[in-house]
Amino acid sequence: MKRIVVDAEVCTGCGICQLVCSVHKTGQWHPALSRIKIKQMPEFGIKVPVVCMQCSNPPCAVFCVMNLIYKDPDTGYTMRREDKCIGCRACEIACPFSAAIMDPIREVVVNCDLCGGEPVCVAYCPEGALLYMDEAEAGDKRRSRLGLKSGEIFPRGECSGRGS
Amino acid sequence: MKDYSGKILEIDLSHGLIRFKDIEPQLLRQYLGGIGFNARILYEQMPAGADPLGEDNILVFSAGTLVGTPFPTASRTEASAKSPLSGGFGTSNSGAFFGLQLKTAGFDALVIKGKSPDPVYIAINDEDVQILAAGSLWGKECWECVDYLEKKHFGSEIALIGHGGENLLRFASIENGRYDGWGRTGLGAVMGSKNLKAITVKGTKGRKAHDPVALLKAVKDGQQLIKSASSYLAFTEYGTLNASIPYSKFKAISAHNFTKGTLPGWKDIGGRPIVDKYGSRHVACQSCIIACGHWVELTEGKYAGVKVKDLEITPVMSFGATVGLDTEAIIKASELCQRYGVDMVSVGGVLGFAIELYKQGIISKEDIGFELEFGDDEAAFKLLHMIINREGIGDILAEGTKRAAERFAQADRYAIQIKGMEIPMIDPRGRWSTWTLGMLTNLRGGDHLRCRNPVENLRFNERDEEYSKERFGFKQSMYDQLDIPEEVKRKAIDLEQDTTDIPEMSKWAEDLINLYNSVGICIRPPVMEKVGPTIIAEACRAFIGIEFTPADLMESAERTWNLIKLFNLREGEKVEASKFPRRFYEEELDGKVLDEAKVQKVLEKYYQVRGWDSKTGRPEKDTLKRLQLDQLSE
Repeated sequence: MKRIVVDAEVCTGCGICQLVCSVHKTGQWHPALSRIKIKQMPEFGIKVPVVCMQCSNPPCAVFCVMNLIYKDPDTGYTMRREDKCIGCRACEIACPFSAAIMDPIREVVVNCDLCGGEPVCVAYCPEGALLYMDEAEAGDKRRSRLGLKSGEIFPRGECSGRGS
Repeated sequence: MKDYSGKILEIDLSHGLIRFKDIEPQLLRQYLGGIGFNARILYEQMPAGADPLGEDNILVFSAGTLVGTPFPTASRTEASAKSPLSGGFGTSNSGAFFGLQLKTAGFDALVIKGKSPDPVYIAINDEDVQILAAGSLWGKECWECVDYLEKKHFGSEIALIGHGGENLLRFASIENGRYDGWGRTGLGAVMGSKNLKAITVKGTKGRKAHDPVALLKAVKDGQQLIKSASSYLAFTEYGTLNASIPYSKFKAISAHNFTKGTLPGWKDIGGRPIVDKYGSRHVACQSCIIACGHWVELTEGKYAGVKVKDLEITPVMSFGATVGLDTEAIIKASELCQRYGVDMVSVGGVLGFAIELYKQGIISKEDIGFELEFGDDEAAFKLLHMIINREGIGDILAEGTKRAAERFAQADRYAIQIKGMEIPMIDPRGRWSTWTLGMLTNLRGGDHLRCRNPVENLRFNERDEEYSKERFGFKQSMYDQLDIPEEVKRKAIDLEQDTTDIPEMSKWAEDLINLYNSVGICIRPPVMEKVGPTIIAEACRAFIGIEFTPADLMESAERTWNLIKLFNLREGEKVEASKFPRRFYEEELDGKVLDEAKVQKVLEKYYQVRGWDSKTGRPEKDTLKRLQLDQLSE
């Protein structure tokens, strides 16, 4: 299954993803309605996009008192029947990433639905900080990042053994 | 238009009044937003001859028309008031996230009038606007206040002043969060004079786009345009520092208060290599795809522990070139400026001025208390603290170089300023171009940010006999894709001679930048090269639902420029004030000096191109009539 993979290291915090998400989903530019949020931590120079992780076993679904959150059998995406949502926010509390988001206008909680397979935030991200890819590929990408890091820590010639 | 529900928030600090005003469609159509709104509001509502630090001055923040959309670089907010430094239209532009919050709170503009009896700050949370006592925040440096206010008003963006604004330094800045600011023209002092410490803004609302699909398409097109610019890749990597080494090669940087033109080892002090050495992550403003800012953490050396968004050309030139500091001291200096809320360019100019006065024997060790030397960071920072706190000689220097020079005999030669504003970075003796003429024609004084050739070529540096041409230096394909109307293009660029006409290009560049400042996008070169009025018109239509032609937009920008000129004339600006400091006409730099008569001639030609009287620099009646300003100016 493909999902949105966040590469926080290259995120510049421009916030384009938040705005295109809200425009695409609601026709309004309304960062509060966006299903992807950038957490800015200016004192550390850190910016992290937070979006539904598409958990295999989503805690939001467990907590939903109305039983509205389900895994789409075809795509495997975490979906919700928004029309029945009572706005109790239990899912918001349960989500370890705070990626379930209260829509302040309709008063229902929403999460990223990957735009049905063509996530618009990924298409507009100028830095490649948001990627839409297969889980295996995403894991590989993270592993190669780890490889680069270890290369920085142990540059050639400084660690034991030759030609490492 | 019906979807566009922006309002103007007007706050009268003298009486504690808060008002919400609708934006008249005519205002939006004629002035767009940003600097356009500011010019109109200040011209209409401020009494002539108001004291810049008095109750009558008005401080306006206007977010650009496109701010809040994902249109690339649409993040900029223009702040304006009568400048305590130049006495004319004081205005400054900043990005980051303040504009987005202001817009999502439902406001296009924030107008602050009057003067509070006690220190206060304004907290805006959608329509819930409060004037709160600043209490112990007064007297604290910016970052401490940001820490406090961020906790108290969670999720807000904060505009605030530090010691600079509180102590009414004429070049105090308004800081925009921690690392950005409305630097130039001393707006921080205006805010300080109103006893206003900070403004926090949080918005949770949205606005409908007139045509969301078209808006997303315009965004995509805009992104692709900017990405195809010749300078795009270099800018994503090195940001504004790209210009540093070329200008040093031209011997045209402000080294040692404009006496040297270049410095030994400049490449490693202020060139692109410092980004590789000190920079880590790239930091963007709202909706920006360039991300020219760099995150810097100094982990060792004298200034270990400094964490800041930096490595931009402004601090590098101000502190590295003008004052002669090394890279780590430059980073420390920009941190200090952000903490205390002062304009980096003017601080650099004032420090360079003081050091030169000391070296010339005009001020002595007894006057200061210690010795001064170019490149001595400890002495420079000691003096900076004296200026910020107005101690000893710092009290005189806090008035800016022009006023300080009046206090010492023979000192005005060393005050490198135009209309009171300290000149940044570039020495026009070393490079004569649209950019350097722009310092003279700039309506806010000696400044480089309101007139830059959209296709400046940094490979060539030739000055023609008449001072009216610069080398174009690009191929036909570049000429063809420029978004400039044919008739302007033909006048401004001569492909056969491979030249750009400086006065003609100045007018276009100023109007284009004014348009950017109205709609709220950034003037980084990749944007200037590619984003013209055509795509802006399309984005405006998709967003606010008003049909503009590209010509309408340029006319609006020109209207704003002329209105600001009228404002300056009303405040007593003289045509003689558009003059370089004597040093540029009298002292040679690398064998080059400016010919005053020739500069004057180019300036007169520029006035003609603008439709202004070539001798007095006043807009002609016909020009005002064409721009529908004739009734306003009577």
